[in-house]
Amino acid sequence: MAVVKNWQLKRDMEYAYEESRPKRQWAIVFDLNKCIACQTCSLACKTTWTSGKGQEYMFWNNVETKPYGSYPLAWDVRVLEKLGKQEWKKNEPYYGKTIFEAADPEEKAVHFAPKDEDWMYPNIGEDDCAGTVVAGDHISLPHDKWFFYLPRTCAHCTYPACLAACPRKAIYKREEDGIVLIDQSRCKGYGECVRACPYKKSMYNTYTRVSEKCVGCYPAVEQGYQPMCVQNCIGKIRIMGFVNPPWKAREDNPVDYLVHKQGIALPYYPQLGLEPNIYYIPPIHADRSYLEQMFGPNVGTAIEKYKKLESDPIAKGLLVLMGSSDRILHRFDVVNGQATGYDEKGDTIVSVPVNEALIERPAFDAANGTIRGNTP
Amino acid sequence: MKKYSLALMVVVCGVFTAAPLKAEVVAKSVTANLSVYNKDESVWKGAKEEVVTLMLQPMVAPKPKVTTTEKVTVQAIHDGKWLVFRLRWSDPRRDEAGKLGEFSDAAAIMFPVNEGIPPPIFMGAKDNPVHIYHWRAQYQHDEEFGKKEMKDIYPNMSIDMYPMEFKDPGKVKGLTEEKREQYAQGKAAGNPQSYAKHAVDEILAEGFSTSAVIENVESYGKGHWANGEWVLILGRHMSREKGSNLAAGKETNLGFAIWQGSHDEVGSRKSVTMAWTPMKLEK
Repeated sequence: MAVVKNWQLKRDMEYAYEESRPKRQWAIVFDLNKCIACQTCSLACKTTWTSGKGQEYMFWNNVETKPYGSYPLAWDVRVLEKLGKQEWKKNEPYYGKTIFEAADPEEKAVHFAPKDEDWMYPNIGEDDCAGTVVAGDHISLPHDKWFFYLPRTCAHCTYPACLAACPRKAIYKREEDGIVLIDQSRCKGYGECVRACPYKKSMYNTYTRVSEKCVGCYPAVEQGYQPMCVQNCIGKIRIMGFVNPPWKAREDNPVDYLVHKQGIALPYYPQLGLEPNIYYIPPIHADRSYLEQMFGPNVGTAIEKYKKLESDPIAKGLLVLMGSSDRILHRFDVVNGQATGYDEKGDTIVSVPVNEALIERPAFDAANGTIRGNTP
Repeated sequence: MKKYSLALMVVVCGVFTAAPLKAEVVAKSVTANLSVYNKDESVWKGAKEEVVTLMLQPMVAPKPKVTTTEKVTVQAIHDGKWLVFRLRWSDPRRDEAGKLGEFSDAAAIMFPVNEGIPPPIFMGAKDNPVHIYHWRAQYQHDEEFGKKEMKDIYPNMSIDMYPMEFKDPGKVKGLTEEKREQYAQGKAAGNPQSYAKHAVDEILAEGFSTSAVIENVESYGKGHWANGEWVLILGRHMSREKGSNLAAGKETNLGFAIWQGSHDEVGSRKSVTMAWTPMKLEK
């Protein structure tokens, strides 16, 4: 075991290999306040990558309803249960154990091994809310009956459990973008990655008899494009880019801005110790203790900050840039009410107004001699 | 505790001195043709039975928590060109995998490639490789009945269509198997695991995590499970240019590994011999 730095936990931790950060790290930020679980991302991924034999059940990208949805069945609560109760006080490093530190000597990570039946219900718990709605109930904030949608891809972790557990060393993390891949020619299908990944984003293909996982749409990323799940998000809730560790963070990098500068986008289940690289803007109306379990002790601060973004023109500008281009934004700025995204070379990719102009038109259209209706 | 310290002693012997255990396998010379699977029971008449002790693989994680296969009974015969083993071990359930989360029963016999003092028993060492014959019930199924299709694994599954799988493939121009295989990544990458297998994989390794399948296979395997016991006949050609090269009258060493699918054993989760078992091939 090596000792590595995990900035999400604000401490050093044990991992199977030495710390070796990629030149840049693939990352997605999701605004959970906007996701409507339309599953367009899931289908964009499915039609691109997993339409073949043995991939029928696979959703490298899925969206589940929290708290009752999960795919595979109860992946999150089963891992948390195996890890056991851990403490994490606000503004302190995480002193609880990670899945690597809590592992039995025979194992690389605390885990549960999903069985066939665990992969049978991708939609379980969909739209189920926590608590029973009874006569006379009304909405209060935060909601006492609540649920939210959680879209998930592979987190292309800085310290992947799949990679640590593979006895054949068939899993590697790319130096150029931090994408974690299973070598399809070397994998022997032992399924150790399927067992070890706490997020259950390694999946075994019963037809090819090797394991597969989200490839981060690396062919698109290599061309400067965002992954298919991001490009096709109709709610524009996602942005893919590159995240830096806090000591290298750049304010004009969209992902760094949301994760480090504002601190409103948080990694999910960081306490597991993988330094996952998908980040979530937490839902503001869901149960706070549940969110703390999922996003760590700073979730309250992130929510309060997010609620005040209305008065921050730069943050507002960046939220408007989310989903306005298929290309990867390496840098952004907001000047005079105009938000602009730039590519790696510094050329403009997209420029959008932070506030759309409001146009009022008379009810009667004289040119066409007709009355304008409200229906589009 | 006693059991544990004994196991530890065996580990120490295996690692530092490669000292053989006392069990010795003698491959009896026979006149029968062994170049193919010979189902004639009588060829085994007089072949010495040797019981070899196994324990859980203790060196690299992930590893098992309990020893599932404590012993394997070994017999060997040869006809001057082919060397054949008969292994027996108890396994309460027959597993040949297929569905998600299922693993196959399997067995392996390992030979040092170089002559002289054998390498560490743990899958060999750099420049001191081992030659492994790895049989899986799953691979045997491939050989006997063909590789399982999705409808064999999940008979009740329904699917609209797979890419490039048409009802009238003759009518579609330029439709090749290669194009279909693009949608099966393991196949597209040429991974032998993704194609129909011969019952026995031949593997060369120079230490943990280095095993690589050899393409030209000169071996066969046939396992039969009944009443909680596997009986496996595993034959190999004695002379292998780049692998372990044997001849009548020579001596070598053997390592064994057994996997029980019902205990989710696969890869490094297995029962193994902790020291080389010497073998003599009768003249």
